[in-house]
Amino acid sequence: MSAIRTEGLSKRYGRTLALDKLDLEVREGEVYGYLGPNGAGKTTTIRLLLGLHRPSAGRAQLFGVDAWRDPVAAHRRVAYVAGEPFLWPALTSAETFAFLARLHGGTDVAYRDVLVERFQLDTRKKVRALSKGNRQKVQLVAALATRAELLLLDEPTSGLDPLMEMAFRECVGEAKERGQTILLSSHILSEVEAVCDRVGILRQGRLVDEGTLEQLRHLGAQTVEVTFAGPAPTLPQLAGVRAESAGPNALRFEVLADIGPLITALAQAGGDSIKTLTSREPSLEEIFLHHYDGSDGRVDAGG
Amino acid sequence: MSTPAASAAPSASGAPADAPRAPSPAPSALALVGALARRALRDARTRTLAFTYLFAIYAYIQPVGFRHAYPTLAGRLAFVHSFAGNDAIRLFYGYPYNAVSIGGYSAWRVGGTLAIAAAVFGVLGGVRALRTEEDAGRAELVLAGALTRRTAFVSAMGAVGAGVVLLWLAESLGFLLAGLPAGEAAYLSLATATATATFAAVGALVSQLAPSKRIALELGTATVGVALLVRAVADTSSGAGWLRWLSPLGWAEELRPFAGARPLVLALPLIATGLLLALAARIAARRDIGTGLLPARDDADPRLRLLSSPSAQALRSERASLLVWAGSLGVFALVLGLVSASISSAGISKGIREEFAKLGTGSIATPTGYLSFVFIFFVLAVSLFACAQVGAARQEEADERLETLLALPASRVGWLGGRLLLAGAGAVALSLTAGVLTWAGAAAEDVHISLARMLEAGANCLPAALLFLGLAALAYALVPRASSGVAYGLVTVAFLWQLVGALLGAPKLLLEVTPFAHVGAVPTQPFRGPAAAVMVAIGLLAAGAALAAFRRRDLLGA
Repeated sequence: MSAIRTEGLSKRYGRTLALDKLDLEVREGEVYGYLGPNGAGKTTTIRLLLGLHRPSAGRAQLFGVDAWRDPVAAHRRVAYVAGEPFLWPALTSAETFAFLARLHGGTDVAYRDVLVERFQLDTRKKVRALSKGNRQKVQLVAALATRAELLLLDEPTSGLDPLMEMAFRECVGEAKERGQTILLSSHILSEVEAVCDRVGILRQGRLVDEGTLEQLRHLGAQTVEVTFAGPAPTLPQLAGVRAESAGPNALRFEVLADIGPLITALAQAGGDSIKTLTSREPSLEEIFLHHYDGSDGRVDAGG
Repeated sequence: MSTPAASAAPSASGAPADAPRAPSPAPSALALVGALARRALRDARTRTLAFTYLFAIYAYIQPVGFRHAYPTLAGRLAFVHSFAGNDAIRLFYGYPYNAVSIGGYSAWRVGGTLAIAAAVFGVLGGVRALRTEEDAGRAELVLAGALTRRTAFVSAMGAVGAGVVLLWLAESLGFLLAGLPAGEAAYLSLATATATATFAAVGALVSQLAPSKRIALELGTATVGVALLVRAVADTSSGAGWLRWLSPLGWAEELRPFAGARPLVLALPLIATGLLLALAARIAARRDIGTGLLPARDDADPRLRLLSSPSAQALRSERASLLVWAGSLGVFALVLGLVSASISSAGISKGIREEFAKLGTGSIATPTGYLSFVFIFFVLAVSLFACAQVGAARQEEADERLETLLALPASRVGWLGGRLLLAGAGAVALSLTAGVLTWAGAAAEDVHISLARMLEAGANCLPAALLFLGLAALAYALVPRASSGVAYGLVTVAFLWQLVGALLGAPKLLLEVTPFAHVGAVPTQPFRGPAAAVMVAIGLLAAGAALAAFRRRDLLGA
């Protein structure tokens, strides 16, 4: 059974189509990175998955349970971390933990203590006196300590410092080992690259790309950088290769096709004067940016 | 990416285009104040408009209704005679200096009753313009700009001042349309305008003292309550008239429009407003943004009571507000009980009693009659409490904590149902408190009335309150963002109609539209069972519809 399954899931707010026929499937035990710029529909998806908003069309299921029709049953197996920490200002962290644990049931108190230690929380402090990052930690600890089968995390590390971000990745690793399923909505690409098995890229409410990192990389351009002992030679135009200057004695190639012709051309043009040659696969950032025109988050016409 | 347009012309020194820009020329202080004040006015527009309409309509109705109900001088004299000797009426309506003339009557009703609404508007305006902005973090954003705290303070209070002027104009217009002379109408409206200004300054000061919006509002409304209590004692106890000078609400009476006007009294609210504002500005200039002069305790040992369910937690967070409601209603109930002893039928003819009936007050010539009359105000208060509870539920959603809650295995119907039950239970507690304490006050002054009858009078508040609770819940489910306005609006309009509908001589059918017309005048009259049953049934139906509708809609942030 899939942990998450949506079929033709759509949501319209007035004139805005926030989510357009989304078919998403996340298998049990998978860590799924849900990528997209601001306003792409990530939070809308999660609200629909939780039955907080009503689908305009299609449906969302968690472990086979319809999220809109039977939210309470669905939520028993889910823990949620919202993008913004909305908690009760007059409660202390300890009281917040007690309240949320009471409502969720099945909280692992020993593990929670470990998490409190790891995230360096002062549980005597009232929520209203906590910084945004610390409130976010309260939310995270409460959700992780439930050991729910499915974690829905909506930009969970916004507001966390790099040390806490490392602690978060450690927690995700532990959850994965235990077999928990995670949907991680994010636009911090290094984080997704570090922890996710599969990645989906959302653009304007539509899933435009999906796959393992390896699969996505095949779609992106490979980058080859060459430095020469003297001035860089002039190369002939090659199909599927874009060349640009990377300094006085260096060239950078974006290779979308096979790399063979480029190697041959380099050898012919001056193989002896090559000092270094590096090749790397596209980063997630490059794949991601490939889907956008990069200037202001607007979509390029070609897709 | 396009380069900045030609408007960013190269400077005379010939600095390259991408060099950091020199500090921009400062906008004039006046332009800053204008921009900030306009923003603040826009934020307050719904509240300001609602009060503007209320004031204009209220002002228009008083002269028109009085002229209609008492066309002859003889009738007016009889009316004055009965009221002048009646302490208990003055408790609500203030001291009538000249209720024979149309203007004098209007002045009495406005200075006495409308001034209370004006004071509440003032506190709300002051606290919302200052403390709410600070709590929301917007004040920090503004103060990070190139402007002084003084400019920000002046702008915020300038916007509140503009609201006060609007209310003043609206009320003057109402009187003018009802046929009062322009000069007098304007002077008369100053009685409420100055009260608004004074209490806006109180709002500004408590915004500096309190560490949060909630506490600031509590302090502000408590100040209104004390001012009202002081005035009530001054108006009703012989020899205590001097106390009136201690209460800003008393000043509104001492202006005495149409009864030997004393414009010099205007100096009092002006000086008080000036002093309070100066003090508030001084504190605002010195303290840390986001804090108040009163300390806030930010850490505590965990107290785990009332955290077992969303409803329990709702009770926990509403506890303080419940106590404030119960406390203030209780004090008024006690005072009313004590004062009721002074009512006697001596010298009040049957004809005058009929005149009272025209005011929609029933017979008030006896202590029990008086208590029956004043309990309509408790019906109003408990109904408003119901609205406030639904407002608190909406706040949970607007602040998106509800999203946190409903992502857990907690059902929507359970959550809203729990909140409504809590509101209902709170209404029961308040109603019974009012009944018991009125009885205690009356019994202490040897008024003969049984506790059972007063408990019945208390319970008599509930059907209307439950009706309004159901309607408020339905408004919340259907139009969440407008729900508070709809709920409070319904109660206010229904109550005003009850007060003035008869005065205006409206046909019976229209008079009976308001639920308040169907509340029996317990303890004088019997409890009106069938009417109560209908109100409760409508309330329950509305609540049921609310639960069903809430189950079906998207959660909606602020």
